[in-house]
Amino acid sequence: MSEDPLALARAVVRRARSNEDLEAFALHSTDTRIAVHGGELDSLSSAGSRGVGVRVIDQGRLGYAYTAEVTEAGLDDVVEQARANAVLSTPDEANLLPGSSPAPDVGGLVDGSFDEVSVEEKLELALELEATALAHEDVRTCGMVRYADSITRAAIASTNGVEREVERTDAWAFAQAIATREGSSQTGMGLTLGGGPRSLDVVAAGTEAAGRAARLLGARKPASGPTTVVFDPYVAAQFLGVLAGALGADAVLKGRSMFADRIGDAVGAPIVTLVDDGLREGAPGTSPWDGEGVPQQRTELIAGGTLQTFLHDTWTAARTGGGIASTGNASRSGYASLPSLAPTNLYLEPGGASGESVIRGVAEGVYVQDVMGLHSGANPISGQFSVSFSGLMIRDGEFAEPIAEAAVSSTIPDILRGIEAVGSDLRFYPFGGSLGGSTLRIREMSVSGG
Amino acid sequence: MPELPDLLDDALLRDVLATGLARGADFAEVYAESRRGRLLRLEDGRVEQLSSGRDLGAGVRVISGDRIGYAYTNVLSRDALQEAARVAAGAVQGTAEKTVADLTSLSRRADHPVRVPPLEVERPELVGLAERVDASARGESGDIAQVIVTYQGSEREILVANSEGRLADDHQTRTRLSAQVVAARNGRTETGFYGPGTSGGHELFDQYTPESIGRTAAARAATMLDAEPAPTGEMPVVLWRGDAGVLFHEACGHGMEGDHIARDTSIYASRAGEQVASPLLNGVDDATVQNGWGSFAFDDEGTPAQRTVMFADGVLTDFLLDRRSAHGLGASSSGNGRRQSYQHLPVPRMTNSHILPGEGTPDEAIAGLDRGILCKGLGGGQVNPASGDFVFGMTEAYLVEGGEIRHAIRGANLVGNGIDALRDIDMICSDFAVRWGICGKGGQQVPVSFGTPTLRISRMTIGGTA
Repeated sequence: MSEDPLALARAVVRRARSNEDLEAFALHSTDTRIAVHGGELDSLSSAGSRGVGVRVIDQGRLGYAYTAEVTEAGLDDVVEQARANAVLSTPDEANLLPGSSPAPDVGGLVDGSFDEVSVEEKLELALELEATALAHEDVRTCGMVRYADSITRAAIASTNGVEREVERTDAWAFAQAIATREGSSQTGMGLTLGGGPRSLDVVAAGTEAAGRAARLLGARKPASGPTTVVFDPYVAAQFLGVLAGALGADAVLKGRSMFADRIGDAVGAPIVTLVDDGLREGAPGTSPWDGEGVPQQRTELIAGGTLQTFLHDTWTAARTGGGIASTGNASRSGYASLPSLAPTNLYLEPGGASGESVIRGVAEGVYVQDVMGLHSGANPISGQFSVSFSGLMIRDGEFAEPIAEAAVSSTIPDILRGIEAVGSDLRFYPFGGSLGGSTLRIREMSVSGG
Repeated sequence: MPELPDLLDDALLRDVLATGLARGADFAEVYAESRRGRLLRLEDGRVEQLSSGRDLGAGVRVISGDRIGYAYTNVLSRDALQEAARVAAGAVQGTAEKTVADLTSLSRRADHPVRVPPLEVERPELVGLAERVDASARGESGDIAQVIVTYQGSEREILVANSEGRLADDHQTRTRLSAQVVAARNGRTETGFYGPGTSGGHELFDQYTPESIGRTAAARAATMLDAEPAPTGEMPVVLWRGDAGVLFHEACGHGMEGDHIARDTSIYASRAGEQVASPLLNGVDDATVQNGWGSFAFDDEGTPAQRTVMFADGVLTDFLLDRRSAHGLGASSSGNGRRQSYQHLPVPRMTNSHILPGEGTPDEAIAGLDRGILCKGLGGGQVNPASGDFVFGMTEAYLVEGGEIRHAIRGANLVGNGIDALRDIDMICSDFAVRWGICGKGGQQVPVSFGTPTLRISRMTIGGTA
């Protein structure tokens, strides 16, 4: 069989019966993963995989099947399986395959220097990341040091005339430093990402990991009470991850969103502009088209504090009706998965002030550096949450003593309304999608400590 | 399903292993996997998803000293496997002069018999099972707002061959049916979940009928509608049978896994032979439980399944080891080397982790509480492996005062430390129940179960309602 994903997708579509709606999504990927520990290679993994996922829609009935067996017999079987699954699915007139429409040009998806980098050079990057973290006087060891890269080639073809192909290269490295002093230890993460190994800054990531761990040493419980809170960019990104669940049209349609019926309402402070930008150059979720072949786009979900729209894929758009179109937010986590609704690159439009100046504006408050249990501790329907955190006190605009074993609680609507400043230090985290975070100041939240 | 031994004959395996050793490595291994599965999701009575999957692939692992090279492919040709072996060997060159031992096949074992193979069940019957769950959930309470039923059935064949001459293959069947139910009243919503699973087939439903699955999940959700805000502070907690296993697994079991031990990043690493837990505690990890959700005959390194005693009368006894961590500790693998798929390296993982029953009844455990919490459901949580500190959401919990259950409480977190919690167990009852889950570690998901009696911990921190 051909090594080309578009040829593979076409080979599947050719098996469709007349009047049958069928779509094939093919993915070829090559990955390298490196783990180091104590100045030595721990493991190196190198991989190639390919496979195809097939959707058949028969009078509104959707069936899905995937296979990694890329042979004539394997492709015959995957189409048969998808067909047999469709027969028993509940008909839904919103199950539609999108048509073909022009996809935007997106540059910068492939790092041209990727192929020039040897495995040895990648290993050196991981070792340098660890060595940088260990150079800090309080850091004795790292819990995890990882380097990863991938080349993915995806293609989609359908009986509706869609034929698309895209290639992406990605690389990232992160370290979790463990700082120890007088028997107590704290952890800190540092991350760098880019289109290829040459665009990573492992020294910055190692320094970041060590610094974040060390500055928490000696943490104590803070006093309880309402106070101004500043979210670290990583915490802000995780917060957006929880918020994203409520801004998907699937959650709205299924009665699981606190924002249902709120379009046009002021849901945040006037400085809050929440963007999902699937075309943002250099961000991890960027692609010309989504998991159904629909063009990705820039969508303002909240503009100047006012709720504008929800995220849509083809199904939610058809189900919502009223002229709503897909916002290009169908996501595929691999050839084994059906498309599902997800943000592309989600972030708050950064403000003009640096992260430091966002903090400088706080007379007394709490800096939340790491949270535990944000997903389990947040109720996506009511928006209530309470999470334990570690971080630093802020006094007179400066970081003061470290704090831990405390909880911060509020509701998602209260946080959106209470945002006073969004830092200019926007960066993206490739964990659980692509979420952007900036230093974020919130007027008041409830902190419970000792 | 093609049988892997037919696709990969001994001569091919020997050649690939020899390529793996050719650059001076100590050890080479081929791991091949063939899998078929079906998934059904019924949401509010509608078949929202019915899908089928077919995976096939193999990885070559080469070890030289402490370094591991791994390469995998989902093309099972001689050329592709030899190329994977060359890449893996090149990553970790050494100076050893090992040769491939004669492959001695371990006989296939039928430790976990399957009466009704899930992939032989006709599709309409799967829909019928899910509809029975849905109907029984709705019949349990007038407040049921949403029911999501998930069915999974899979068959997985693995083959492991290594340069020391081990050759093992195992056929693993799994079936699971679960219900997630949302109950709503006066603008409040609560969720309940129940999801039995087996390393077997549809005979699971003789023991756990679809009706019992729907009713249990629905009752959990409906009960919590009457919940009141939770108190905060330090107090004793009775953890209900089965549900206590989530805490045992997350806050204790992970710290007993050999990779953390060999690296000395676990609070348990230096405590072997010590009385770390209450003398009441006897805890095991047991992959031999017949048809247990986390069971198998051979682990993903070809080591036969075992029962490992982790705590005997509160004394920390044995860790959970794969080949690598065992080598680092000068021990033998305990059969805990598991991988999600051929795309992953094996790491030490739990299988079915159990706390063994003791004496006393749950009624006695509750009657002994002056003021405390009865926890019958733990949700998502997080654990810091270095310190053992944890936080878990309680999905079903009650306030107990004067030895009597007062009312359900909501939104409360259980905050504590694994080693402190083990030490502070002051009662382990004679009852026992199992729960089923998917455990994530290092990006790999594997099926695990937890089984425990009802037990009481003399003090834990309750983080209150947001």
